[in-house]
Amino acid sequence: MTDILRIVIAPLVWLAAFTTVYALHGLVCGHAIGGMPFGTISVPRLLLVSAYALAICAQIILLISLYARRFATQSEFVRFVSRATGWTALVATVWTLLPTVTMSHCL
Amino acid sequence: MKALERHREFSRIWASAPGFKGLFSTVNHTDLGRMFLVTAFFFFIVGGILAMLIRAQLATPHSAFAEPDLYNQIFTMHGTIMMFLFAIPTFEGLAVYLLPKLLGTRDLAFPRLTAYGYWCYVFGGGMLLFSMLFGIAPDSGWFMYPPLTGAISSPGINTDFWLIGITFVEISAIAAAVEITVSILKFRAPGMSLARMPIFAWYALVTALMILTGFPPLILGSILLEVERAFGLPFFQAEFGGDSLLWQHLFWLFGHPEVYIIFLPAAGVISTVLPVMCRTTLLGYGWIVAAAVALAFLSFGLWVHHMFTTGIPHMGLAFFSAASTLVAVPTGVQIFAWIGTMWKGRPDLRLPMLHILGFFVTFVIGGLTGVMVAVVPFDWQAHDTAFVTAHLHYVLFGGFVFPILAGLYYWLPHFTGRQRFFYLGEAAFALIFTGFHVTFLAMHWVGLLGQRRRISTYMPEDGWTTINLISSIGGFILAIGIAMVLIEVILHMLTSRRSPRNPWSAGTLEWAMIIPPAPYNFASLPHVTSREPFTDDPELAVRLASGEGYLGRPNDLRETLTVEITSGKPDYHVIYPTNTHLPIIMAAVTGTFFLSLLLKAYWCIPIAVIGVAALAWRWVWVLGRKQDLPVQDIGHGIELPNASTVEHSPGWWGSLFLLVANATFFGSLLFGFAFLWTVAPGWPPPAWFDASAVELALGTTGAMVGAAAIRRARRANALRQPPLAWLGLCFAGTLTVAIAAAAITLRVPAPVEHAYAATLLVLGSYALFHASLGMLMVAFLVSRTALGFTSAARKTEFPVVQLWIDYLGVIAILVFLVVHLTGWLS
Amino acid sequence: MLVGCDGALSIVDPAGPAARSIALLWWVMLVGGVLIFGLVMVLIALSFRKRAACEDDAGSARLWIVKLGIAFPVTVLLALLAYGLVIGEQLLPRESGETVIVRAEARQWAWNFSYDDLPGRTTQDVLHIPAGRPVDISITSTDVIHSFWVPRLAGKLDAIPGHVNTLRIEADRPGTYQGLSAEFSGSGYDRFTFQVIAHDETGWQAFLTGETE
Repeated sequence: MTDILRIVIAPLVWLAAFTTVYALHGLVCGHAIGGMPFGTISVPRLLLVSAYALAICAQIILLISLYARRFATQSEFVRFVSRATGWTALVATVWTLLPTVTMSHCL
Repeated sequence: MKALERHREFSRIWASAPGFKGLFSTVNHTDLGRMFLVTAFFFFIVGGILAMLIRAQLATPHSAFAEPDLYNQIFTMHGTIMMFLFAIPTFEGLAVYLLPKLLGTRDLAFPRLTAYGYWCYVFGGGMLLFSMLFGIAPDSGWFMYPPLTGAISSPGINTDFWLIGITFVEISAIAAAVEITVSILKFRAPGMSLARMPIFAWYALVTALMILTGFPPLILGSILLEVERAFGLPFFQAEFGGDSLLWQHLFWLFGHPEVYIIFLPAAGVISTVLPVMCRTTLLGYGWIVAAAVALAFLSFGLWVHHMFTTGIPHMGLAFFSAASTLVAVPTGVQIFAWIGTMWKGRPDLRLPMLHILGFFVTFVIGGLTGVMVAVVPFDWQAHDTAFVTAHLHYVLFGGFVFPILAGLYYWLPHFTGRQRFFYLGEAAFALIFTGFHVTFLAMHWVGLLGQRRRISTYMPEDGWTTINLISSIGGFILAIGIAMVLIEVILHMLTSRRSPRNPWSAGTLEWAMIIPPAPYNFASLPHVTSREPFTDDPELAVRLASGEGYLGRPNDLRETLTVEITSGKPDYHVIYPTNTHLPIIMAAVTGTFFLSLLLKAYWCIPIAVIGVAALAWRWVWVLGRKQDLPVQDIGHGIELPNASTVEHSPGWWGSLFLLVANATFFGSLLFGFAFLWTVAPGWPPPAWFDASAVELALGTTGAMVGAAAIRRARRANALRQPPLAWLGLCFAGTLTVAIAAAAITLRVPAPVEHAYAATLLVLGSYALFHASLGMLMVAFLVSRTALGFTSAARKTEFPVVQLWIDYLGVIAILVFLVVHLTGWLS
Repeated sequence: MLVGCDGALSIVDPAGPAARSIALLWWVMLVGGVLIFGLVMVLIALSFRKRAACEDDAGSARLWIVKLGIAFPVTVLLALLAYGLVIGEQLLPRESGETVIVRAEARQWAWNFSYDDLPGRTTQDVLHIPAGRPVDISITSTDVIHSFWVPRLAGKLDAIPGHVNTLRIEADRPGTYQGLSAEFSGSGYDRFTFQVIAHDETGWQAFLTGETE
């Protein structure tokens, strides 16, 4: 069972981060925190971008653990698949949450 | 013992009751798999006839063939039947039939559950058919958006048929998913590690896990909408703090994964059949497994792309647009791995291969148009037009029907034991392929010319006449092709010659048996050392039949063994239940529950609930023994403990995965609550919950006491001390939880006045239901212990109950916190 | 008629800036899609050539999976995603001085339009706008979900009870444009259409002073 978890953990964390950022976005837009400035950058942008950065950090840590000898698995196959899904999750995090940086947030 | 003698002996042990009557009591996966497939194909024909009616209606402008009221029922039922009564059950049937054979074992993990799922499917599907025959079928489109489906706009019983019938059918999907997950993880031939599993098993595992996490949001949505319609709790009504968008979120949270739930098994068929057609092995097995897992997860991050036009801010849309384009990458990995497989081998244009080529052409176009509608601005134009209808048919027909037809022709000799003889199939393929593309290719264009989906008629001056006529002609060509497949299969079953074993020279285990298969599959279980055991050892079938594998000695019991998940080392020994009518009776009583809801005969509901509980009690009870089973010799010098003496029995695994589905349901409910609170108009509510520190403390303590007491009971039993006192304490704790939950349901402000109170009522009822279930389980364990069915060795029921009590504890504490804290915060 | 682009409801016959940029997006995607489809079909066809079997699985995996299966789609999709999101940003109803604001309220099966510039005036199933100026439509519904769609001017946006969504449309030239409700809404759905009349400057002034019926 730990081997199954090893395969799914990184994408699962992506899914959690993705949903959380989407919910956060809904929250800031739904509750008119919209305009508040924080220096030169608006509060919602700051929140969303920090969540994005956090999600990427989590994925990098997971990927390092999947390569670490300390958490190694017996099965070479599981090692390969879990690293592949780990990379997928990292790419997915960078890719799908990039709009937090580039898009206008509440229009 | 000779092979023939062994065959007779095993057949006697495993056979279903003879004749037609045997179908009602069979629990054998080969029988049930066939029954699933035949029933699903029947619904495919029904759905296809409805499609023909749609095309007849749209063939000409000003059509007077069907009035809108009838036409709305036709297209709603076409979508509903194809999705819920054809596609998903076909996967279930194929998996139920094939998996034990591919995995080198004798049956699935829970044979009676397979049968129960099948009967739920038949009865639920029957309800929908009934509604159609009497002209009271659902008529709001297969995704049932409220407020159109609410009590005001749709007062008739039509919508209830959908909500209740589909929920009933989904029990079957959840049952099959639990079954398939546990079977793949635990019920394999010794030596079959995760790396040696046939690729179809990986796809089926991923699909089953997706069903477990994808279906609960829809089940929740259906329950909420039905409760709104029946009792006026306003979850989706904007003027009372509800929001119709909540339905769309819940529906597509199911609906998008659903598309991949349909595609992945078909991809599993291609990954299995294509290499055999090319006389080689699959290129990039590990890559494909990773791609399937990635696809499964990404597909849960796409749901909002069905909601691009609902006014969600552009950044929100951008997340989902990005995810929707990204999901094309793992799909691309699979497509190119398959093409690479073709380059690696020598493809032969036999019939299954023709359908695979049909798949490539069709699915690649569907994928490309899918990427197009994933681009937000284009979707603003294309959404709800015939372009989307065309796209989704390319994906579903290309990504499901063609692969399934390939699989049908590939495994037909296995189903029937006969050779293909009537060469109608090639002509049928030509008609299906031509007909499909004639119907749907130009439909993209008519969508761009502004034809909406779901209209029943149009004007000549709209300029859509020619394309629609061509589409309709194509539709009828396609129908003739499907009819020819049906005729060929029937003729084949009646008259063909016997097929040789392994007609395609495949390497997987399902061919290492007599065909059509004997009810026990393998007279002895193989030891697997590679992904294609039958290629490595062409004599394997004979050696297994003569008892050279494991468990080759018939001893009057239906026996098999389980393995450790990763390594495939033998784990423990399992004895299956035999033929019984319990599943069909249980499904009938479950159906009574749903029927009472449908007909608003609420007095009957408690009777049905008690009936289900009593039958469930009996279901588990009959598995018990009063003596410890000794360690079992499975051959080759290996001895295994029996499942009744292990920590993690099949029942524990089944409970675990059922609870995964349950937790998704609960999570969706919490999401719904948060969504309504933050997004819905019409908040704050007129009255808040009157929070009570006493109830909160009482409920939380009860949950913790229950969880602690079941642990002590388990330990006492292991130490040969009487566990009854601890079980009593556990019961008391669970009862306290029930009381605290009941208090919530009784004290919420008027639930028909605001979605806030309505949601609290559902949360309280959810905790109350689980507390009652926990009490039933503890009572069961008390009876078992008192009557001597447990011992220090026969301990396996304790961990199962502990799992449920733990789950109860977690959800109950969350419910209490959410309910009482929201009361205080306001 | 089979391949003609024109039509009162055709999104490939655009008559406004939003519809035009989406139509261009469509043509770009169509060309790209056809090229990719052609590539895949050629690769499949070539697999049927007679040749020696290839035994180098690792090499094949690198070519087929890493290069064709991952690198190729990632490149194409990133470009397309960026293109689509940039267009999407441009079409958003940002604040600007000269926007005309109209309120659209849907019910089964009629649209009521009211005008901020002309309080008190409502029109049913006919929307009046000035040509050549951006118009923001605030869309809502009083019963079930509908959708506001004028295919030749812009994409669609849903009318949802309890929510107000804003869609920007603009017509290049004066004229009459066909509109549809594009969310299934029950038995009257087929006929649930409306018209948009784009006026020239004098016509719009006439409308604002109440001279147009």
